[in-house]
Amino acid sequence: MSDNRYPRINYRNGKRFFFRFSLLQRIQHIVLFTSVITLGLTGFPQRFYNEAWAEPLFTFMGGVDVAPIIHRTAGSVLVFLFFFHTGYWMYLFYRNRLKPLIAEKNLGPGTFFKAFMSMEMMPNGKDGRDIVQMFKYLLYLSPNPPKYDRICWKEKFDYFAPYWGIPVLGPAGLALWFRDEFTQVFPGWLLNAFYIMHTDEALLAGLFLFFVHWYNVHYAPEKFPLGTVFLTGYLSEADMIHEHYAEYVEAMTEGGLEHEIKPQGHH
Amino acid sequence: MGVLPNQMLHSTVQRRTGAFAALLAVFLVFFMLGSLIWTPPVQAEDELNCVLCHKFRGLSRIDENGRFRLFYINENLFNKGPHKRIMCMDCHRDIKKIPHDPAEKVNCTVECHLTEPSGGQNFTHAPVKKVLDDSVHSKYDKDGNLKDYPEDYPGCKDCHEQPLYRPLSFFKGESAGISKRGLSRCKTCHQTGDFAEDFYSHVTSRLQKTRESREIVEICAKCHSDPGIQKRHGLHDAVSTYKDTFHGKSVTFGSNETADCVDCHIVYGESVHSIESHTEPTASTHKNNVAATCRNEECHSKAGEMIASYEVHTDYNDAERNPMQYYMLKFFQGLMAAVLYFFVVIIFLELLRRLFPNFCFIKEKPTDATSVLKESSSEKGA
Repeated sequence: MSDNRYPRINYRNGKRFFFRFSLLQRIQHIVLFTSVITLGLTGFPQRFYNEAWAEPLFTFMGGVDVAPIIHRTAGSVLVFLFFFHTGYWMYLFYRNRLKPLIAEKNLGPGTFFKAFMSMEMMPNGKDGRDIVQMFKYLLYLSPNPPKYDRICWKEKFDYFAPYWGIPVLGPAGLALWFRDEFTQVFPGWLLNAFYIMHTDEALLAGLFLFFVHWYNVHYAPEKFPLGTVFLTGYLSEADMIHEHYAEYVEAMTEGGLEHEIKPQGHH
Repeated sequence: MGVLPNQMLHSTVQRRTGAFAALLAVFLVFFMLGSLIWTPPVQAEDELNCVLCHKFRGLSRIDENGRFRLFYINENLFNKGPHKRIMCMDCHRDIKKIPHDPAEKVNCTVECHLTEPSGGQNFTHAPVKKVLDDSVHSKYDKDGNLKDYPEDYPGCKDCHEQPLYRPLSFFKGESAGISKRGLSRCKTCHQTGDFAEDFYSHVTSRLQKTRESREIVEICAKCHSDPGIQKRHGLHDAVSTYKDTFHGKSVTFGSNETADCVDCHIVYGESVHSIESHTEPTASTHKNNVAATCRNEECHSKAGEMIASYEVHTDYNDAERNPMQYYMLKFFQGLMAAVLYFFVVIIFLELLRRLFPNFCFIKEKPTDATSVLKESSSEKGA
C-alpha cells in the first residue's frame, strides 16, 4: 500500500492528513483528466454541431483544420495512459502480492485468484454491504453512515469507468481516424456502429464526470469549490472521517492514536 | 461647452473655432465637387441605361401574388459577375420600350449576342438545361411524360439565385482568381479592351469552387428539407441525415475540403447538373458505383471496396431503415439513463440527508470506531 515515502498520516500546520495517492498516481490522473477534457472540448462541438456554442468552441479549439489533430493527439495520449496504467498495476500486483507468494512457494490458481481479488481497487463483499448501509442511511432508516475502507465503491466505479470507456472509445476512434485503411479489411457499416459507440459512450463519460465525479470531489458542500486531494495526495482528517471512516480508524490505530479517534457522527 | 472665466480665452477659442469651420467647409466643397466630377466607371453593357432607375435600392413592388419583389441591381456586384458583358435586353427580351411593363421570367436557354469563342456561335445555357433534363431533377420522366407535382422540380434559377448567384469575390474576400502577376502574362499579347481580364477571371473562377460547401447544402436543403416535398415525392430527410455525418459536421464548421451533396451525387468528373436517382445504374450513388464514388482520387482513394456499405444518410429514429443504428443508440441511451439516474438520485438523497442529520425513522444504536476494528479483525481472521 503505502511505502516509506508516503507516511500514512502526515502533519501540516498541526493538522492531520491521511495518505491517498502517490505522486505517480497523481501524475497519471492529471494526464487522464487533461486528455479527457481536451477530447471533450474538441469532440462535443462536433456532436452538438447544431448548438449555438458549438462553432465558437470548435473554432477556439482550432477549427476544422486543427481541432481534429488535437483530438487525435489527446486520444493517443489517453490510450497510451491506458496501457501504461495497466502495466503499472500489473507491476504492483507482482511486487506486492505475487512475489511474496512465490517466495512462500504457495503460488497456485486458488492463491493467485485470491491475491488478484484482494487488490484494493477490486470490488468485494464489503462494497455490497456498504451500498445497502448507504441506502439505509440516506433514506433515514439508519443513523449510521457507511464506514468506507480506503477505496469506497463509488471510487471503484470511477476507476472502472475508464476501463470500460477506453476500450469502447479507443478502437472506435482509431477506426474512424484510419477509415480508409479500415475499409480495406472491414465493412463500412462497422464505421456506422463505431461512430455511435464513440460519440454516445463519450457523452455518457462526459456527463458522468461532470455531474457525478465532480460532485463527489469538488461540488459537494464540504469540498466546494475544489477538492485538493488530486494535487496533494493527502486528505484532511474531517474529509477522511466523512468519507473513509474504516480506513481512518485503521490508520489511527496503526499509528498508535486509538485514544484520539474521533466519532463518525456529524461534525 | 462649459462657461469659461477668461474673456480673452473665450474669444480666442471662438476665433479658432471659426477658422476650423471655414476650413471644414472648404474641404466639404472639395469633396462634393469631387463627387460631381468623378463617378465610378460603368463597365456593364448598359446601352439603354437601365441602371438609371434600377440603381435605386428601394426599387420594388408587391406583385399580383402579394410577394415582395426587389428590382434593385447592385452594379458593383453585377460588374464582377459572369454576365457583366451581356446587355440587359439580351436576357430580358420582352422589354421593347422604356419605361417598361412587368418583365417576363428570363429564359436561360436563349442565344445571347455573346460569341462563344471555341465554335464562334452565339452563347447559350441550353447544354446545361439538357443535362438537367436528363437528370433526376427533370420535370419529365424517361418517356417524356410530366411527373407528379412538376412544380416541385428545380429550374436554373431555383439554385442559381441572387444572392447565391454571385462571383467568388463577394463572399470570400478574394478577387475572383485575378492576380496582376498572372494577368501580365496575358496582357502582353491580348491588349484590346478588357479581354484578358474577362477571360482570365472566367477561367480561373472555374478552377475552384465558386460556392462554399455550406452554401451548396443550403441550396439543396431549400427543397430537400421541405417536409411537403419529402412527402409528395417519397423522400427521406437527406439534409439532416447528411449533417449528422462527419462530412456534414466539417461543412457546418466551414470546411470546403469535405464532401458536400454534389460531391457524392454526381459521377466524378461530370457536370453538377447530372444528378441521377440511386436506382439508375449509371448514378454515382447506385449500389454498384458507391465504392468508386467514395474512392475517387480526391477523397477516400486509399479505402477498400467495402467502404460502400457505410450508410451515409442514417436516420437514427427509423428502426426499419437503420435497425443497427437504432438499437445501438437505444442501448447507449438506456445505459446513460441508468447510470446517470442512479447517481443523480444518490446525490439528491445525500443532499437531502444533510438537512436532518440527526433524524432517523428507526431507533438504532449509533455504531462507533470499535465496530470498525471488530469488523476488520473478523475479516482478517476469515
